[in-house]
Amino acid sequence: MIEVRDVTKRFGTTVALNSVSFRLDQGEILGFLGPNGAGKSTAMKIITTFLAPDEGTVTVDGVDVLEQPLAVRGRIGYLPESVPLYVDMNVQEYLEFVGRARGLEGARLKTRFDWCVQACGLVTELKRPINELSKGFRQRTGLAQALIHDPDILILDEPTSGLDPLQILGIRDLIRSLASQKSIIFSTHILQEVPPVTDRVIIINEGRIVADGKIAELTRQAFGADSQFERDLEAAAAALARGHAAEAVAMQKARLALEDTFIALTKQGGRGKGVGLHA
Amino acid sequence: MRNIGTIFRREFAAYFNSPIAYIFIIVFLVLNCGLFMTPFFLQGQADMRDFFGNLPLFLIFFIPALTMRLWAEDKRSGTFELLMTLPMRASEVMLGKYFAAAAFYLVALAGTLTVPLMVGLLGDPDGGMIASGYIGAALLGALYMSVGIFCSGLLRDQISAFILGMVACFLFFLLGIPAVAATIDGWFSGFGSFLQNAIGLLPHYQSMIRGVISLGDVTYFLALTVAFLALNTIWLEGRKY
Ligand SMILES: Nc1ncnc2c1ncn2[C@@H]1O[C@H](COP(=O)(O)OP(=O)(O)OP(=O)(O)O)[C@@H](O)[C@H]1O
Ligand SMILES: [Mg+2]
Repeated sequence: MIEVRDVTKRFGTTVALNSVSFRLDQGEILGFLGPNGAGKSTAMKIITTFLAPDEGTVTVDGVDVLEQPLAVRGRIGYLPESVPLYVDMNVQEYLEFVGRARGLEGARLKTRFDWCVQACGLVTELKRPINELSKGFRQRTGLAQALIHDPDILILDEPTSGLDPLQILGIRDLIRSLASQKSIIFSTHILQEVPPVTDRVIIINEGRIVADGKIAELTRQAFGADSQFERDLEAAAAALARGHAAEAVAMQKARLALEDTFIALTKQGGRGKGVGLHA
Repeated sequence: MRNIGTIFRREFAAYFNSPIAYIFIIVFLVLNCGLFMTPFFLQGQADMRDFFGNLPLFLIFFIPALTMRLWAEDKRSGTFELLMTLPMRASEVMLGKYFAAAAFYLVALAGTLTVPLMVGLLGDPDGGMIASGYIGAALLGALYMSVGIFCSGLLRDQISAFILGMVACFLFFLLGIPAVAATIDGWFSGFGSFLQNAIGLLPHYQSMIRGVISLGDVTYFLALTVAFLALNTIWLEGRKY
């Protein structure tokens, strides 16, 4: 469980986060959306104790990030925006290093290592030096690193960036399969990939949360009751597969609703009149 | 302890995963032993004073080259964020890195043991004096390395960290030179000699290569080493805010 209360973070005169509050329960997945420079990565860095908030408090499973940072770090698996890889190691050495640094050893390390390599599709790349990996495999190695200690909480900053469509589907399934026991926050710029994974989103703009809630509710609040966003990409794919092309096209339109909501909430001047905040 | 060991193993291997390590060791040995040989054969002295006497100046170039990558590389590549979100203290990560550099330096220093072996074959050297010289060389390296890792922590560019480290080490060297102390004394009476003893490393180092190990000299090196390591940790902890 993550609880963020009134967090403000400044870099010089830039206000990266402005009194941000939200809460994420166990078993929930949260999609973190917002334009470039909105403050998504900054919020993640604060939750993972990399940065300290200027004001406000953050607790992870009830533990304050400033008071007991080591206890918080032990619970979190973190994939930073710039994937933290040691290019002089190969994939196996790297994952074993992170595993040991996170307190695993012996049989447990072996089990977790095998699981992560399987889950992230790295079996063929184990002995490859990391500086020879393609962008997609680097991203997957970064993801495997975040999963190695089987953390209760996953913070993933743009986990699907640089992946091909098939890999994106794989990561999506992986995130969904982990969801039942974990709390997961992931950020992304690809709005289409949000609905299949989760229906809870936070839209952040210029350091403020402008929307927090279920996609369907947000869309309804932004555009009125007639827009529908209950059905997801998979339903559309299934409809197409069954030969109901017209139905799938209608769903495609519905999916655009998140994009419209996003643009309406984050465009210049859209600031301040947040949705979901004055619900 | 376990955490320090994990970081140490990665960092120590990282030195040997790049050709820099081998180039470093070869250049270190050739320069040190080579420059030592000339007076050894010309003057026929059977001691190692020239060898140890050269080290303070030599290491001003060698040690920062060793320590420049320790933090700057991680900051550049993004692994800094990984290290600072691992469930271990910043001081543990720092010590793992420091000991890796120290171990590497000791390996290079061990390579120079061929010199005393040769001196022993050709002459009748004072074994105690050579041993004390090696202790001095290790302590000198320890100080330079802690200055170097501190400088690397301040910057995200390795070359800048190298230059800053060199300047900082040079300052410790410079303040210990009697002529420099005398000049400063000329401006502020007594201040130069004070700096020479409190900060300058030569007075402390030179008595060691003469075979005298005093508690004061050892304390000088250890205290400054620990001070820069502590500053490094404080900087790492304070970076968050
Ligand atoms: N270390 C830093 N020093 C100064 N300013 C920073 C720093 N890190 C972030 N910022 C600023 O804080 C703001 C928020 O940045 P952040 O990286 O959190 O955005 P983001 O939502 O992750 O954007 P993107 O989608 O581009 O990744 C930006 O204005 C950025 O310039
Ligand atoms: Mg970002």
